[in-house]
Amino acid sequence: MSIPKLEFPPFHLPPEAEALRVEVRGFLKEVLPKVKSEDRFASWNTFSPDFSKALGKKGWIGITWPKKYGGSERSFLDRYVITEELLGNSAPAGAHWVADRQSGPLLLRFGSEEQRQAILPRITKGECYFSIGMSEPDSGSDLASVRTRAEPVPGGFRVNGTKVWTSGAHRNNYCIALVRTSGQHGDRHKGLSQLLVDLKTPGVTIRPIINLAGRHDWNEVTFSDAFIPESCLIGNEGDGWLQVTSELAFERSGPERFMQNFYILRELVRVLGRQPAKRASSILGRLVARLWTLRQMSVAVAGMMQGGKSPAIEAALVKDLGTIYQQDLPEIARAIAESDTTTEEDLADFLDVAQYATMMAPSYTIQGGTTQVLRGIVARGLGLR
Amino acid sequence: MDRETRDMLLETADRFFTERSGRAIVNDVEKGVWPADLWKEIEEMGLPLIAVPEDKGGAGGTLADMLALLRTAGSHAVPVPLAETALANLLIAAAGGEPKAGPVTLALGNLTLSGGRLSGTVERVPFASVAERFVIVVGNTLAVVAAANVKVEGKPSHAGEPYGTVTFENATAEFTAPSPASADRAFELAAVMRAMQMAGAADKVLATATEYCKQRVQFGRPISTFQAIQHMLAELASYVAATIASAEAAARDADEGGLSDGGRFSIAAAKCQASDFAQRIAAISHQSMGAMGFTHEHILHHYTRRLWVWRRDFGSETYWGAKIGAAYAKAGPDVLWASLTASKYAA
Repeated sequence: MSIPKLEFPPFHLPPEAEALRVEVRGFLKEVLPKVKSEDRFASWNTFSPDFSKALGKKGWIGITWPKKYGGSERSFLDRYVITEELLGNSAPAGAHWVADRQSGPLLLRFGSEEQRQAILPRITKGECYFSIGMSEPDSGSDLASVRTRAEPVPGGFRVNGTKVWTSGAHRNNYCIALVRTSGQHGDRHKGLSQLLVDLKTPGVTIRPIINLAGRHDWNEVTFSDAFIPESCLIGNEGDGWLQVTSELAFERSGPERFMQNFYILRELVRVLGRQPAKRASSILGRLVARLWTLRQMSVAVAGMMQGGKSPAIEAALVKDLGTIYQQDLPEIARAIAESDTTTEEDLADFLDVAQYATMMAPSYTIQGGTTQVLRGIVARGLGLR
Repeated sequence: MDRETRDMLLETADRFFTERSGRAIVNDVEKGVWPADLWKEIEEMGLPLIAVPEDKGGAGGTLADMLALLRTAGSHAVPVPLAETALANLLIAAAGGEPKAGPVTLALGNLTLSGGRLSGTVERVPFASVAERFVIVVGNTLAVVAAANVKVEGKPSHAGEPYGTVTFENATAEFTAPSPASADRAFELAAVMRAMQMAGAADKVLATATEYCKQRVQFGRPISTFQAIQHMLAELASYVAATIASAEAAARDADEGGLSDGGRFSIAAAKCQASDFAQRIAAISHQSMGAMGFTHEHILHHYTRRLWVWRRDFGSETYWGAKIGAAYAKAGPDVLWASLTASKYAA
């Protein structure tokens, strides 16, 4: 049969990465109790400049980047370990998250020398934060339909349009905006470019979009004749689509895709106590086994990437399974907690936490590529389209 | 076995199973026919001795080599006790015994051993009706009992394989010796063996459903061009991927950690995971193939029925889930993450 074989070759993180894990754990144990966090159960969308600066001081932001830009030239697998330790220990890593994960690597790959020197060292210090300016009111999964227009004018571009769901724009420094620099709306992939936008630029207006859980993470960012200097064009004019798709492929299968609400599992273990009944133990064990499996898959993909392969289908499968796991987790957890917790007070507290997780859950299968987009990628890989 | 030798062996085995262990043989076994020729050829290839040292007449492969072979066998629904015999022979050799020819199976359950004689009953013993010998581990002692010394009540599995209840009434063992693998450990090794067979079967289910949907024309076009079908098969692929990834990780950990206790948690997690997703894999594949896949004539059920049987064998998702859950609850919330990253019951 001619379908491509799915393979997840078991991979061991190397000893230096495991040594780094011990160091990171030690650091978090010391620092986390002192960090002021807005959430009890922090994750990669919890903003804490204090924490990001402390992490930057350790050299753990942009750890893979060249030393001349403030990095440590360590491996992608070292970064993997830092990422999963931040999530496994509920660190408020939201301030620097996008810059470290996505924007910095993009600038490293396509940015000008001037841009790299100006920005990257500040990111590694944990003091420069980024937003993603891709989605628009009429462009979600269909990113090639963006309407925000950057009209070339002497010395730069005049930008008009609106970006939405722009996480953290109200407190971040920059946004990387996907804009149309030439051609028409119907030209799809052609004529798109990426601009490095200082969010304090005159003509850029930021308004909150409150999500259903009452949180202000998102914003609407409006450009009204905002002037963006030519020096802020990232890469080549017209290469925006190529650049943005490579940006989306960055670690689709990373631990953030299945550990955003890891705290639910930990709190479930807490409320079930040391000797739960067999049924509760069994359901808990199945949740643990699923998470363990996701981690094995994710580490295997990281190993393949380190070995120079680009396992796009495997990565999409990890995100699909991982985000759905995160949706199942609070539901399964509240059912066994309710039937198997003995202390009423602990239970009420846990159910509040689970309720919050349930409210956040719809976002997991939407952000960074919806379930349906991912399944399209996998279907293509299976030769179905 | 080096990587190249293993790959060559797997390729040879894959070709052999394709040619010699097809649909007709699987169906015959369901009717109670023992495929003597197939078994003879499997023995001639040395497959049941894959993980037996060369000085005992084996191929000198590792546990990992054996498990890789069984994944391949799982993707062909090979209807003979190759897996059981290969593991039994590995255990016999590790306890200092000499594996013999003929199909062997594992009777792992609550038995007592006293003065070289065994007593007790084990249910759902795979291939009980055709095995020539039974391997039992009680505590830390391995025993081999000839079929003539036990009572077998045949009760075919729901996949039509000759499972049965085996009763030992003061049965004389032909061999007993201290075993590096304890009774619990033998059960774990059998669990990872089944998990790898399930990975093979899951892979075959995905390939079968995908091929079918590409061929099957309805409403004037192959149904694989419908987005609803594409998304179903993509979801199926995710469960198959999870089964493969967890089984492979457990196989590696079991091998690297040594015969007596390597990868204990990984095996539990992998068998739990494989068993947990077996139903989703069966359900989606059947839905994608409609009535055709529900017929006895089609081969899909050779694999989906085995997935349903194998998920019960050597610990279901409930059994292993309870083990993991109890250990994680006992260890408490503060070591949860450390245990998970270390692939241990408790860090």
